[in-house]
Amino acid sequence: MAQEAHGAIYDLLAVRGVSRRDFLKYCSYVAAMLGLSEAAAPAIAAAVEKGSKLKPALWLNGGSCTGCTESMAQVDSPDVATIVLELLSLNYFETVMAAAGEHAEKNIKDTIAAGGYLLIYEGSVMTGEDGNTLLVNGHKGTDILKEAAESADAIIAVGACAVDGGWVAAHPNPAEATGVQAFLDVEGVKTPVVNIPCCPMNPEWVVAMVVQWLLVAEDDPATFLAKTELLGKTYADRLTGRDVTLLYPKYVVGSTIHDNCPRRGHFENGDFVTEFGSEEEAMGYCLYKMGCKGPQTFTQCPITRWNRSVSWCVQSGAPCIGCGAISWVDNNTPFFKRLSSMQMGDGLGYVQPGSVAAVVGGVAAAALVAHGLGMKAAGRIGPDGPPTETAKKHDRKRQAKGGDK
Amino acid sequence: MAGHAHYREAHPLVFVITHWINLICMIMLAFSGFYIHYPFFGGFMGVARGMHFVAMYVIIINLTFRIIAAFFVKTATDLGSRQVDTDIKNWLPQEKNKHQFFETVKYYLFMRKEAVISAKYGSLQKIAYLATIPLTYLMAYTGFAIYGPTMTWGLFSGGVEMVGGPMNMRIIHYFMMWVFIVFTMIHAYLANIYNFKPSKIIFAWKESE
Ligand code: HEM
Ligand code: HEM
Ligand code: SF4
Ligand code: SF4
Repeated sequence: MAQEAHGAIYDLLAVRGVSRRDFLKYCSYVAAMLGLSEAAAPAIAAAVEKGSKLKPALWLNGGSCTGCTESMAQVDSPDVATIVLELLSLNYFETVMAAAGEHAEKNIKDTIAAGGYLLIYEGSVMTGEDGNTLLVNGHKGTDILKEAAESADAIIAVGACAVDGGWVAAHPNPAEATGVQAFLDVEGVKTPVVNIPCCPMNPEWVVAMVVQWLLVAEDDPATFLAKTELLGKTYADRLTGRDVTLLYPKYVVGSTIHDNCPRRGHFENGDFVTEFGSEEEAMGYCLYKMGCKGPQTFTQCPITRWNRSVSWCVQSGAPCIGCGAISWVDNNTPFFKRLSSMQMGDGLGYVQPGSVAAVVGGVAAAALVAHGLGMKAAGRIGPDGPPTETAKKHDRKRQAKGGDK
Repeated sequence: MAGHAHYREAHPLVFVITHWINLICMIMLAFSGFYIHYPFFGGFMGVARGMHFVAMYVIIINLTFRIIAAFFVKTATDLGSRQVDTDIKNWLPQEKNKHQFFETVKYYLFMRKEAVISAKYGSLQKIAYLATIPLTYLMAYTGFAIYGPTMTWGLFSGGVEMVGGPMNMRIIHYFMMWVFIVFTMIHAYLANIYNFKPSKIIFAWKESE
């Protein structure tokens, strides 16, 4: 990518078959995501054009499945989002760059030495075995991240794994994975991190943040933080044992999926799918009973949607599995059950809250019946009940000992 | 213990009414809660949630009123008595409850024959009734923490973060429903085990000798 010559932006877009009109349309779409009016589209276009030649960036992969890269790149038509990202001076992007070996590593080194770049980090931070669970050409992934993070202007942590470890950090977390912010907190690196949730992340959200940087930051992280609508969410990181505050774009995590879901009307009316492949499913009823985690998940999927706004999980017929949440795998499995199962200690397996409740309720009912039978057998039941003591046992004992002295 | 008279002084009309409101709200909340938890028939979600969202305010106002009233209304100081004093004194442990906790437990576990001396309520009963106060407020807290309009308030979002997310808060709210169900089972059982005189007074406000 970095090897490609950067022509004027519209030439480049034209080569990819994207018209100027398409591009401006996309810019107004990004504007909406950033909470700006459509009138801001030309400014965004200008910022992108300017940024295309100026802002160096690194895209590093940690403990990831490369799904986020796929999400970014997997399009069958030229995708403006991809092109916009290409327009950053991406000096390293493992999966798709042409450079390899020493040359690629030198690109990282040079970029870090020069400073003033954006770091896009995909995947979890695997700290297990003293960092040896992830090695790139003999270097620990944790060292690479730390070094790259220290000199970056800002970091965009893309995808659930970079946010808090994602599925890699799911119980029992053998790689001792965690998120970028949690890791940097421990290392004492203060570079601001903006988190883009979901598994994989939504490319449009990444683009929106890149554009936001080009638009308002004036190459200063503090200005960027001051001018960007961010929302902080604190969670207790299980690996580091610390309270970690994650910054998200407010637009992305400000409301629940359920609040914006087109099936919400069916939810309110009580029209539910109870079985896949049923008539109700064909009618596009609400997937609540199929385990939809939309009510507990704070992401903007129904509005941004995926694959250039073609569709998203619920629209395509699948319940939301809550991949935008913290500890999303542990908190949201089984995917097709309403509540998550609770772990009963290592090796004992998982149990649904409803089963626990039924057992507790059943035991209580049985105990009361047994107690009632006992009361009857003891002859306590009847209009008068059993005889009552004439003095408290405590007082009788004291009396026996000679009373108050 | 069971053979005493039941006079209106034990439960003045306002407390008969607060008990009724509480009971009706509880039934509405538990029923709609079960439905929200798993909609076991169709076409009712809007109503169920509406029911839940109304009853949750009513039950909290009712409980708060019940507590404040305890400082002003006078109730009987003892079983089968017409002698009255400020309710809160009879609601909190009284002199007669002292040293009786373990004896009461023993009595219910059939480890002693005679019933124990108790005040207006026995030790266990008092603990249970008093426990419904923090429990109901905690229920409200966990409820408001998963309630759209309020869950982003710092007071509630802090709690959500503490328990590890909104899913866990839902599970806690759900489990707490079962705490109330079990409480009510035991409570209704013990209230009616000897005879229905206590229920007659708390529901119909009818005295019996
Ligand atoms: C006292 C104040 C209460 C408040 C503020 C409250 C609030 C709520 C809210 C906001 C919901 C989520 C509804 C939705 O998202 O559609 C809910 C669900 C629920 N509530 Fe309550 N509630 C209260 C009391 C109760 C009580 C007393 C019970 C039962 C005895 C109860 C049982 C339930 C159950 C079982 C659910 C469904 C949980 C799930 O599986 O998702 N609630 N409540
Ligand atoms: C099946 C339903 C119920 C029955 C049959 C019932 C019966 C009674 C009776 C007979 C009393 C008077 C006790 C006495 O004087 O010895 C009483 C008092 C009381 N009940 Fe219930 N009850 C029911 C439901 C509930 C529920 C759901 C709650 C709360 C969760 C509750 C909370 C209380 C409290 C706190 C008192 C003390 C009286 C007061 O504070 O005014 N009850 N109940
Ligand atoms: S499908 Fe999911 S997000 Fe949509 S209304 Fe139903 S429960 Fe809510
Ligand atoms: S709708 Fe749910 S499962 Fe789908 S991407 Fe969004 S958060 Fe993840």
